[in-house]
Amino acid sequence: MVNDAGQLYTMEGIAAGVIMLLTAYIVVSTTSVYTAGDTHIPDMQLEQLGSDVLAMMDTPDTNRGTSELVGFVKNGTRVMMGGNTLRDRFLAGCKMRSGDPDDNLRAQVYLSYRTTGGSVNTTPLSSPDPEFTGRENTVRVTRWVQLPTEKPPGIPIDMSNTRSKAVLVEVLLWRA
Amino acid sequence: MLSLDFLVGFTIFMLALIMVVSMVPGLLAGLESSGIDYDAVAYRTGVILVEDPGWPVYPPWEMNDPDHKDEIQRMGLAVSKETPNILLSAKVERFFEAGFFAPEDYRSKAIFGDIPYSYNFSLNISNPDGSYELNQTGDPLPPGYGYIRRVVKIKEPGVAEIGYDDDYNDTTLNPSIPPMFTVRLNFSQLLNQSVSAAYRIDPRTDPVTVNINMTGYLIDSNTGATLQNVTFWKMDPTRPNPRFTRIPFSYDTTDPDLYTLRIDGTQTPHSLKPDVPVNSNISLVLNPAATSLFTLDQNSILDIRFVFDDSPDQRTTLNGTYDYDDDILPVLSTGVLEVAIW
Repeated sequence: MVNDAGQLYTMEGIAAGVIMLLTAYIVVSTTSVYTAGDTHIPDMQLEQLGSDVLAMMDTPDTNRGTSELVGFVKNGTRVMMGGNTLRDRFLAGCKMRSGDPDDNLRAQVYLSYRTTGGSVNTTPLSSPDPEFTGRENTVRVTRWVQLPTEKPPGIPIDMSNTRSKAVLVEVLLWRA
Repeated sequence: MLSLDFLVGFTIFMLALIMVVSMVPGLLAGLESSGIDYDAVAYRTGVILVEDPGWPVYPPWEMNDPDHKDEIQRMGLAVSKETPNILLSAKVERFFEAGFFAPEDYRSKAIFGDIPYSYNFSLNISNPDGSYELNQTGDPLPPGYGYIRRVVKIKEPGVAEIGYDDDYNDTTLNPSIPPMFTVRLNFSQLLNQSVSAAYRIDPRTDPVTVNINMTGYLIDSNTGATLQNVTFWKMDPTRPNPRFTRIPFSYDTTDPDLYTLRIDGTQTPHSLKPDVPVNSNISLVLNPAATSLFTLDQNSILDIRFVFDDSPDQRTTLNGTYDYDDDILPVLSTGVLEVAIW
């Protein structure tokens, strides 16, 4: 037998159900979750920035001018205009902004080359950063550079000294 | 017998179920942070501005006046598509020119978003002399915007500074022949494809600027010499019997959109038939809008002829031909372009 009491309980149930559904919907739809996959965005921005700076350092300012980047690599680990200057100029380019400079950027420059034995060796071009622990969230940007016959000063002796060669400039860039 | 309660309850349950199922895709949308979308749009806009010369290319979009800005399809700032990150100063100036583009223009020709994004573009140029030049357009930055920063170089137009040179000081001139100084633009040399577009002068897109310092060329610096006219001549060496022909042009009308001729540093521009005395210098800027009227191609030779006439006297020894080439280009300046979208 159907009576009014049964009808009342059903209405309460429906009202509660609708309220629960709405609450769940509002809570889920207004929550913004920063998923692990999103961390590539700042990395991509940093990588693009570093890549731009290396490309612009490799672009001569005049038609018959020379690449600033190649000049630094030719000087190897020399104190003046060598790997450290390369890192400093690279960071200056990365830090430039319209407002205050983006000061908390750090970098470390490496050079990869083919040894006389045929293997590939990587050697630091700039002095080691004392605060670098190896656990930083770094990005890596690279640029190929053509070098003349002479081996740059300070580069290990297993780099060929008798032929021109292409070497890879690698820069590790991170936020301190 | 089916209960009425059950029927009503089941119907409502089914309706709620359908509603919930239809909401599922919308529920997942919240899992994506809004910053990702802004960052992606900022990155895309940065790529369009820095790596693309825009559309149309010839005549370039930056030459459109306010009445024809609707013809602009895309506002890229690169010199050419082969030279990413090298921006052309004329494009940069037009892009940031106050009042030329409305916010809707930036949205439809640079951002290309489905929704009306807010934006802030800034370009900080570091000049070789150590000074900074900041160009900016858009709204102040709120928290939580999408961002990209691109490092660029900026190509400025060249200026031919012609000072004293023995080659142009012709002391053997016949006084009955008016001295004529020619600035020659050989397009086959200027547009040499083996030279990167970053270091080429293309008079069809870059202004041609000639500054002549008359010191040393005047027979009497007090009386000066009379610049009778400036004319444009062209030749196509690939045609049979090539010869220079005078280009029809409104020589006696002053039009700052086409050219500016100033004599002795005065602010009032002259027409190309000034017929006035020159005591110190001549400055001519020929805009791409004028050069595009000359129907020149990559084989043409364009002569700009400055004729001095003080007959029967001779008052200047300036005579000869100056080759306008890419040596006059200034060094590229470094800059940083920042795009913020929200």
